[in-house]
Amino acid sequence: MTSPAPYRLPEAPGIGRLIDRGQPLAFTFDGRRLEGFVGDTLASALLANGERLVGRSFKYHRPRGIVGLGSEEMNALVGIGRGPAHEPNLQATGIELHDGLAAVSQNRWPSLAFDIGQVNDLFSRFIPGGFYYKTFKWPKSFWHHLYEPLIRRAAGLGRAPTGRDPAAYEQIRVDCDVLVVGGGASGLAAAEAAAMAGARVMLAEAEPRLGGVGDLYDGSEDLPALANVMVLTRTTAMAHFHHNYLLLAERLTGDKPRQRLWKLRAKEVILATGAIERPIAFANNDRPGVMLAEAVRGYLARHAVAPGRRGVVFTNNDEAYRTALLIKRAGAGDVTIIDGRADPHGELVDEARRAGIPVMLGHAVSQVETTLGGQAIEAVRVAAYRPGISRPLREQKLPCDYLAVSGGFNPAVHLWCHNGGKLRYDTRIHAFRPDRHHDRLWAVGAANGTFDLQQAIAEGAIAGEQAAARALGRPATASIVMPKAKPRRQGAIEPLWLSPASGHYHDGHKHFVDFQNDVTVADLELAQREGYSSVEHTKRYTTWGMASDQGKTSSIVGLGVLSEATGRPIPEIGTTTFRPPFTPLTFGTIAGALKGPLFLAVRRTPAHDWQVAQGAMWEPVGQWRRAYCYPQPGETKEQAIAREILAVRRAVGLLDASTLGKIEIKGRDAAAFLDRVYTNSFSTLKVGRCRYGLMLNELGFIIDDGVTARLADDHFLMHTTSGGADRVAAWLEEWLQTEWPELQVLVTPVTEQWAQFAVAGPEARAVLEALALTGDSDIDLKPDSFPFMAWRAGRIGGFRVRIFRISFSGELSFEIAVPARDGMKLWQALLDAGKPHGITAYGTEALHVLRAEKGYIVVGDETDGTVTPRDVGLDGLVSKVKRDFIGKRSLDQAFLKAAGRKELVGLMTEDKNEVLPDGAQAVSDAAARPLTPIGHVTSSYLSPTLERSIAMALIENGRSRMGETLSFPLAGGKIVKATIVSPVFYDPQGERQNV
Amino acid sequence: MSEIVIEEASDRGMIDLKGDPAAPGFRNGVASVLGLDLPLEPRSSAASGETTVLWLSVDQWLITVPYDQAGQLTARLAAALAEHHALVVDLSDARTIFRLRGLGAREVVMKGASADLTHTDYRAGTVRRLSFAELAAMVHVVSDTPEILDLYVFRSVGHYVREFLETAARPEARVVLWGRSE
Repeated sequence: MTSPAPYRLPEAPGIGRLIDRGQPLAFTFDGRRLEGFVGDTLASALLANGERLVGRSFKYHRPRGIVGLGSEEMNALVGIGRGPAHEPNLQATGIELHDGLAAVSQNRWPSLAFDIGQVNDLFSRFIPGGFYYKTFKWPKSFWHHLYEPLIRRAAGLGRAPTGRDPAAYEQIRVDCDVLVVGGGASGLAAAEAAAMAGARVMLAEAEPRLGGVGDLYDGSEDLPALANVMVLTRTTAMAHFHHNYLLLAERLTGDKPRQRLWKLRAKEVILATGAIERPIAFANNDRPGVMLAEAVRGYLARHAVAPGRRGVVFTNNDEAYRTALLIKRAGAGDVTIIDGRADPHGELVDEARRAGIPVMLGHAVSQVETTLGGQAIEAVRVAAYRPGISRPLREQKLPCDYLAVSGGFNPAVHLWCHNGGKLRYDTRIHAFRPDRHHDRLWAVGAANGTFDLQQAIAEGAIAGEQAAARALGRPATASIVMPKAKPRRQGAIEPLWLSPASGHYHDGHKHFVDFQNDVTVADLELAQREGYSSVEHTKRYTTWGMASDQGKTSSIVGLGVLSEATGRPIPEIGTTTFRPPFTPLTFGTIAGALKGPLFLAVRRTPAHDWQVAQGAMWEPVGQWRRAYCYPQPGETKEQAIAREILAVRRAVGLLDASTLGKIEIKGRDAAAFLDRVYTNSFSTLKVGRCRYGLMLNELGFIIDDGVTARLADDHFLMHTTSGGADRVAAWLEEWLQTEWPELQVLVTPVTEQWAQFAVAGPEARAVLEALALTGDSDIDLKPDSFPFMAWRAGRIGGFRVRIFRISFSGELSFEIAVPARDGMKLWQALLDAGKPHGITAYGTEALHVLRAEKGYIVVGDETDGTVTPRDVGLDGLVSKVKRDFIGKRSLDQAFLKAAGRKELVGLMTEDKNEVLPDGAQAVSDAAARPLTPIGHVTSSYLSPTLERSIAMALIENGRSRMGETLSFPLAGGKIVKATIVSPVFYDPQGERQNV
Repeated sequence: MSEIVIEEASDRGMIDLKGDPAAPGFRNGVASVLGLDLPLEPRSSAASGETTVLWLSVDQWLITVPYDQAGQLTARLAAALAEHHALVVDLSDARTIFRLRGLGAREVVMKGASADLTHTDYRAGTVRRLSFAELAAMVHVVSDTPEILDLYVFRSVGHYVREFLETAARPEARVVLWGRSE
């Protein structure tokens, strides 16, 4: 067993309100076993165990401890979970303790207490703000090979998990009338008021419980159960976008799912995000044991954690006096208040004096003295302070082991600013608060700079009522009014940004502004001296306000420092941009359910399962998976492809062509419409016949091709490329709806309705005849009654089919379409009927070789969006008699007709076994310098039919270079030579498909 | 709370109809075959007996009937509209319909959808084309009590949508919004 936590106070009223001492929990930190209670956060449990050192800083590797209580925590970033379930960069203040929790510190090597990177601190005068822009410039190659890897190792946060995250995540899309962000006192009042007014309300609270920090001030608020309020705890509003679209990340207690992302559209958004206490810049203000005053109070009141044995509260406002009072009341040792104000008048100040707490007015902490390499505080030095003081003359030493600091409070305006909300500087609180917003956004309570509890509650209630009324389109009833009662008398806050040290800023006297990014007062002042007068430039140069922290604690402090350094008032300096997410968000939540098997919706054809069973290799085509080839046992990929090709040439093959796009086009003007979208004529096509068509865009370039069948006088079926199906359907609709509304044409995509299989090869007809014998058949397959480029509808072997006698292989070929649910049955029936004829399933690679042997183009291989019909030798398909078609005018442009364009040719390599790589560049003379490419290979294969390699290429003036030998210089110095030939390598007369 | 039951409605046939509802005689022609009037209100539907007509756009409807009747009904509709500018296609195999039953079915669909289906706009009879799991899809609210939703997706991604729905509907991932109850 572990020993009792040394800083946990015994049970007492008002102390340790959230922990259940009856339920101990064991956890580990850097492998050490520690104990906490149900109700602890990792931060409170670490503090209870006296674990002050929780991380090393980003740049200087300085020891760092817990500073805050909630989302403002900038130092205590830890990793939790092991292996693939590891998550880095989590705030210890936001991790609920559970049994077996395994947390590790970050950015230290070899260990947290002894860290080599600490030497960065000793050399810090050589790595000031912007050092990487200055130092690592020369020589050029060193950046990549030396500087960057070194910096990456030395600077940084946690480590990435080691494998796939086993947890599940999900997302959900929801609308509401009123979203309240923040379940503190004002947020609860807003949610209740909005719900009472009848709105559909969602309340998001980052903590596991409602109430916010009301318990650390004057009281708390509750929310009655109302059916129209949905409360999400453990839910952080991460981002606000246009038109009140927000992302909320909900942390669930299990891991299936582990987190849920709410994608929410709200008519009205009420921000009750509270305020964030800010530190004060003094020498060594980053030492473990220097905490925010509200955090010290919170750990005491909620978790019974004593901050130390003897403390100092350093403040410029009244609120921190509450911390000293609670320390006193809890008997957690002596405490002294150092107040930078000379003469504060508040009830809390009086109360502290009455309680006998020593108060030093007009003083400031000027230095923190430590031992153990900065890990343990011994004392602070205190000096007389007045605004504008440049250097203290006399200091006195106050022994202590912790420091509670309050430099005032910043309204948490991050969400207000994510999407362009404006801020104004309020000298009453010395902070920026929400001003204007173009969206329907409200800010209430501390988020609006209203720190008095009763005022904040009233403000929330009024906003809730008014927001609900506006969301529901009703006039506001104004039943709630601001309380008349005078708020508690409080002394005014006085700005105190920088408490100067007696020594130099550097050399161990760092005054930190941005703890997470290791930015000091000296860095900000240096940036001013170097001319970075814009606040945004200063931010980028120094990294102040960046990374996961986004300036939560550092923003206003830095502005205060800049103001004093430049003599410009803070509102004139302006603020930097606050960006989402509000706190670090794991990528799993952003991906949601779309990972693993749900990463991508892969489209499957009706014959998919058979192909899986055959062990097909796959090729992605659009979102489809098509069988690339079907290797038999003991067969290589290349052998399989050759076997499939030869089967088609010598006997018969079977191809799953279901992915081809299919679009029905019908109407009085359907033929005229097709005449306009294809280069060739379709009005002349007879019913029952098919024609290949070439489709151009307005620029005259080929965008699609395919065979169209005439189903009836006014009715066509268009086939498109597999990848082009959706694009072409949208293209047709666009022309019909926006350019030619006078045409009576209707278009319906029908791709998914049909399974379609090609039966190709000399035995193709025999296979269909065999199939016809197996059941009802009424289609005459004889060549005279069913010629090439005809189609028939009817029955074959009992299947309701459309058969198209078309060919992409140059062989006798039939494509049979059947309703998709009969697809698998037809596929099997064709295999059975074809078995005696040696039917062989072939994949997309065989399909491509077969078409290349015939010189047929593939849109996307031989074309790249800049290729005209003339370029690929299909000028014959461009009608000379049609009045117009899409692209016609462009084809007449001089440069598309000029000499020197790349033209499609065939290539035969000198060595018949040498297959040119796709995309290889051609030159006339490989010895010339510079090398001048004159074209490139578009398709290249080993043809088993021709027993040699063949390729297609686009070559400048290619058709007039027949017989010329070109060189193809490849990577590694190899040069392949090939002769230009006709792209039709096989059966140039087309006799085989016409039998 | 009862589980959400997800079934594939493979007994439904689907006929896609395009035409101009303002053309004289068009709606009568359809009604003479289907025995019900085409719904003209956006995102609405009409049902009679075993026939349901879903509004897809101002000139397009999806007619669902028992699968065995789809072919014959397509032919009869085409004949009845022969004189009209219309396109009738039997697309019975183009889509997969998932029927979700049980309180929380809306929330299951909302985990992949681009719309909040608990909104009062989505009462029984409503049809909405939307993006589901980044795919083109359509939701038909069949019944409010008991809660029944039909989700239409293209056949080629049916296997994917089934996996998505089954993942989203696991009891430990249950979401029921704003205390909805049956």
